Amino acid sequence: MNSLRKLGTKLSQVAALPFLSFLLAFFISGILIAVSDSRVLKLAGHPWQMIKMAGTVIGNAYLALFQGSIFDINLTHGHSFFQGFYPLSETIVTATPLILTGLSVALAFQSGLFNIGAQGQFVFGAIGASYIGFHYSLPPVLHLLISLAGGALLASIWGGFVGLLKAKTGAHEVIVTIMMNYIAGYFILWILKTKAFLRPGRIDPMAPEVGTNARLPHLAGADLRIHAGIFVALLAALFVWWLLTRTTMGFKFRSVGANASAAKTAGISIAYVTTATMALCGALAGLGGAVHVLGSEYAMTADIAGSFGFDAITVALLGRAKPVGTVFAALLFGALRTGGRTMQSNTETPLDIVLVIQALIVLFIAAPALVRYVFRIKNLKTSASITSKGWNG
Amino acid sequence: MKKSFKLITLAAAAALVVGVAVAPASQAAKIKACLALDTGGVDDHSFNASAWAGAQASTGIASVQYLPATSAADFAPNIKKFVDQKCDLIIGVGFAISGAIVDSANLNPTIKYAVVDDQGYDHGPKGDQYPGKPVANVKGLTFSTDEPSFMAGYAAAGYSKTGKVATYGGAPYPTVTIFMDGFAKGVAYYNKIHKKSVKVLGWDPAKPDAGTFVGDFQNQNKALSISTGFEQQGADVIFPVAGGLGGATAGQSLKGKKSVTIWVDSDGYDLVPQYRSVLLTSVVKGIGESVKSVITDVSTKKYTNASYVGTLKNKGVSLASYHDLAKKVPGQIQNEVRQLGKDIASGKVSVK
Repeated sequence: MNSLRKLGTKLSQVAALPFLSFLLAFFISGILIAVSDSRVLKLAGHPWQMIKMAGTVIGNAYLALFQGSIFDINLTHGHSFFQGFYPLSETIVTATPLILTGLSVALAFQSGLFNIGAQGQFVFGAIGASYIGFHYSLPPVLHLLISLAGGALLASIWGGFVGLLKAKTGAHEVIVTIMMNYIAGYFILWILKTKAFLRPGRIDPMAPEVGTNARLPHLAGADLRIHAGIFVALLAALFVWWLLTRTTMGFKFRSVGANASAAKTAGISIAYVTTATMALCGALAGLGGAVHVLGSEYAMTADIAGSFGFDAITVALLGRAKPVGTVFAALLFGALRTGGRTMQSNTETPLDIVLVIQALIVLFIAAPALVRYVFRIKNLKTSASITSKGWNG
Repeated sequence: MKKSFKLITLAAAAALVVGVAVAPASQAAKIKACLALDTGGVDDHSFNASAWAGAQASTGIASVQYLPATSAADFAPNIKKFVDQKCDLIIGVGFAISGAIVDSANLNPTIKYAVVDDQGYDHGPKGDQYPGKPVANVKGLTFSTDEPSFMAGYAAAGYSKTGKVATYGGAPYPTVTIFMDGFAKGVAYYNKIHKKSVKVLGWDPAKPDAGTFVGDFQNQNKALSISTGFEQQGADVIFPVAGGLGGATAGQSLKGKKSVTIWVDSDGYDLVPQYRSVLLTSVVKGIGESVKSVITDVSTKKYTNASYVGTLKNKGVSLASYHDLAKKVPGQIQNEVRQLGKDIASGKVSVK
């Protein structure tokens, strides 16, 4: 009982800042939604009516956001009740690659590294998985596993190279990963035009679809896109948690993250930790790319990575660089993205408001003093120490 | 009730915007038209913007709406959203979205679809069957942009003092190279008529692999270096077929004073007024017109899956006016280009 209460206190301490940031971001975005709506502005002369109208507009927008991301009763008309959960399925489909890229960034934070390269690592994961997926014909299960592993391995080499560079030459991983994102971006453009990758009959960059044996199976029938990739992502989160808290290797990672000089004095090889961390980060983000291709897209295009790698930084920050936190943060971002679609089409509130919400969340998390001031809280636990390590090398 | 009122206001507002009276044929039904955009956003000054403007200016609509895409992964869910919203007509903007449109059309045979810049054919479950089969409820909206480009090539050759003109593309997609083909062949036609030998840099229809391309539609620096390269080789007319990247070329024309630019897709005179003094003309692709036409087809129940092809004849494509540079283009050339347009429309001159 006592330990349960302790856990509760700890949880409320850890989750307080993200939650309050989230609340604040929604509040400010609500004002933006209201003042950008012509129906509200028309009532400028009647303050009370205007506030009422603003309330309606904001309420409708956020209701649509919910309907578009969790459950929509309108979708059940003429279909099974189950179909109402189509939005939730979409949320999870979007969140799945984000969980993996988020974990990649979070793991790096834990070792005192700032991995901005999840975008490029994602690209290589997608390339590896796509090629094995469409080029070879293997038996079921085996084909999927090899495709996933191939993507993760390729991305792990790509990511590990950054760690090696840092370990051997001291090249800063922030700079190197940013540059390598560009290389990956142009590499995929080029490789999609080569004979090996270009879909027969097409001249625009698009790979063939992966074979049916290589696809992640749907979890709830063909109508919903939710696929087994979510299990891959959750297993990866479990693995990262286990690695960090239950293994010697994870202890070394965290020691270097907490204080590199002390870790070195204690006999931990910084070069080893840096290389191993970046290789693992690459594998995680690469798995994200692989799951995206094998789970929902099937065909690789030049913009396959979307903004999964960059959103991952936000997700890891919001999740306070913890595996569980990252999973929830990614689910939230997935919900915002899919819900934004319904918000725009039902209430004509621009989809871009979602970006504002995301940006504000990051802003408040990065400036805990602001949140402390607004809510008059003194002892708000922040994770600034862990998430700003990467900058000073 | 409230919703229908909102829809009426919307339709009325749309009508006001374009200044046309809402007087559709008596049997016409008001429809809900929905646009699934390509990446780039609704205000991309290019095809997304043209399509949206065309949809808003249409008659016979009860409501119009759009969804933007941040990457190709958004295409399928955006279209699914419109299916759930019970749209009467779903228009995919850009050939990249074609596959997702066809997939959705096969699942929802009662909904009408259209796709801009592609024929909207079904290429089989693996997407590798070419040319593919037409789908009963997908209409392709395509454009013979080689026709006005042919005229532009002729005009450019007639205008050029150095005897060299140039063109480059964003990426080697068929929707891009068709402009460059028309342009190069228009120059060749001028050479044949006038017994001259004006050269085209950047594109030879016989050697497509050797064409000059930026590689994407975002890289302003590359577009600029291609443009200055052309100028150094002596080209005094440049035709960039790369959407907004044309701004890099026009900017160089303005700064270097060695060349003029031919704008692409819409009339640059209205779109980029800062470059008016260096825009020879524009090759206009009427995406908005095509969207309007398919919306009218659906509301008047004349929709078929036969592709819409914008031509000089139906004014789906056109060559814009020379505007400020009209006095620099010899009158004889202007007359010849005008006549050429008529001859292409009537089939007397082939642009192939």
